Amino acid sequence: MPTVAELTALYTNFMLGPRAGPSVCGECFNFTDGYQRCYACAHGEAWLDTVAPISYSVAREQLHHALARYKRLSGETARRLQVELAAVLWRHLDAHEPCVAAAAGTDAFELVTTVPSSDGQRDGRHPLRWIVGALTGPTRQRHERLLLRSGQPVEGREFSPQKYEAVRSLAGAPVLLIDDTWTTGANAQSAAAALKLAGAGPVAAVVIGRHLNREWHENDRRLRGITRPFDWAHCALCAEDVHLSPGLSVG
Amino acid sequence: MTPLSEAAALVVLLRSGRRPWPAYAELVEDAGSALAVLERQATDSGEQPSLFHEPHEPLVKAAEDEVATWEASGMRLLTVLDPDYPDNLRAVHDRPPLIFVAGRLEPSDARSIAVVGARRASPSGLRRARAIAEHLVEHGYTVVSGLAAGIDTAAHTAALARDGRTVAVIGTGLRRNYPPENGQLQQRIAARFAVVSQFWPDAPPSRRSFPMRNAVMSGLTLATVVVEASHTSGSRMQTRIALAHGRPVFLPRSLLGHAWARELSARPGTHVVDSPAEITATVQRLTSTSALVV
Repeated sequence: MPTVAELTALYTNFMLGPRAGPSVCGECFNFTDGYQRCYACAHGEAWLDTVAPISYSVAREQLHHALARYKRLSGETARRLQVELAAVLWRHLDAHEPCVAAAAGTDAFELVTTVPSSDGQRDGRHPLRWIVGALTGPTRQRHERLLLRSGQPVEGREFSPQKYEAVRSLAGAPVLLIDDTWTTGANAQSAAAALKLAGAGPVAAVVIGRHLNREWHENDRRLRGITRPFDWAHCALCAEDVHLSPGLSVG
Repeated sequence: MTPLSEAAALVVLLRSGRRPWPAYAELVEDAGSALAVLERQATDSGEQPSLFHEPHEPLVKAAEDEVATWEASGMRLLTVLDPDYPDNLRAVHDRPPLIFVAGRLEPSDARSIAVVGARRASPSGLRRARAIAEHLVEHGYTVVSGLAAGIDTAAHTAALARDGRTVAVIGTGLRRNYPPENGQLQQRIAARFAVVSQFWPDAPPSRRSFPMRNAVMSGLTLATVVVEASHTSGSRMQTRIALAHGRPVFLPRSLLGHAWARELSARPGTHVVDSPAEITATVQRLTSTSALVV
């Protein structure tokens, strides 16, 4: 069996850790032109208490490709990508779930669930649920399929609290929501809305890839500025202090 | 197999398009059809002026004839739309939209490892390449290499001698032999297994074609082993590409005398090994998909 450390080593060379800072969206870590929020976050609904992307996922690069292909390919190759992405999630949550919980204002997440697929056919047996519910150590015991597609006609990337429906009442439980990719956030925010309307407590989203296009404005220059290789010891949420006090040694 | 008109439409797209080739792999996979992408471009004014002015149907018809000629001369065209396009290759971001195959790739070739190294190899490097290839073959792996002189040739011939599968990924079109002295080896591998090229059948070798070939070699395989390399070699290029694909790289410990090898060994995903058995044991573990442990 592969270990989390040796599988994640394979992704360490191309993952790009988001960091807070000027011209970085305070919600989803998108790059902005000097604004505190990106367009989608400034104009969209904000039901999530925290958004924590593990890495940037740049269009047509390897992480982006893996995040699209783990659910589109079949057979051994798809399984391999699924196990690799589970390792990424595992290593990240092992080190940084407390950062996510603190940012969302809770001690711990009682429940872990995934955002249903926008593809109804795929949602029947979505590999993300296999990743979160079976492969990933830190989530598998808390995983529950809490959300279903409501069947309401909602356009692909539109926010709607009716897009998904919760399967049961959540009685104040803090919920960790997992998704593979964050693009505009409309799906994750819709999922958070459905969870909160069912009574959930704090809801935070951990996404593996925050989608970016290298061609947009200054994105290429800014992506080149990200320290490599990927630093597993710091996440988008906890690295901030390091960032703001460069004089302090952090070990 | 891809319908002839789809293969032909992809050929037309690649010949007339201005984007990098992997971009067409993405477009065509997303649309599920090269004809659809071609039609969209033709009606999308400004995008492709030459196509806009020229109706594409005659171009597709002409390309159909060309594809048929290639196939008749033993070159099979596999596009990203083809279910036989190798899955390992499909999973890397810079996969080519099509490959040409002389001979036949088998599903078992998914279980393959690339063995690469210097053209001017030392006797100990050649010995090591043979030992690694023999070990891989004994353990049911296909030995993939680049048909170059030196380490590549040693790896291919050792696999052939042990009756194992070996696949060559070349930096020219399939109608070319480069280096010329390996023409016979190329034919032997094509006759029994497969020679793969992502270039048009008559494409000559070029400075750009070899790094592109290395990306396909890495993409086709589960891992890359560098047997021996100089500080400027294409093998080192392939290690960078393999790591960028998220595929492991293996380095014999004896190479750590070189500064480049020490530098490479420090990169995540690189494994320094003392024996060929360590390579297969590690690949076996890394690619097992039943479960994951801390």
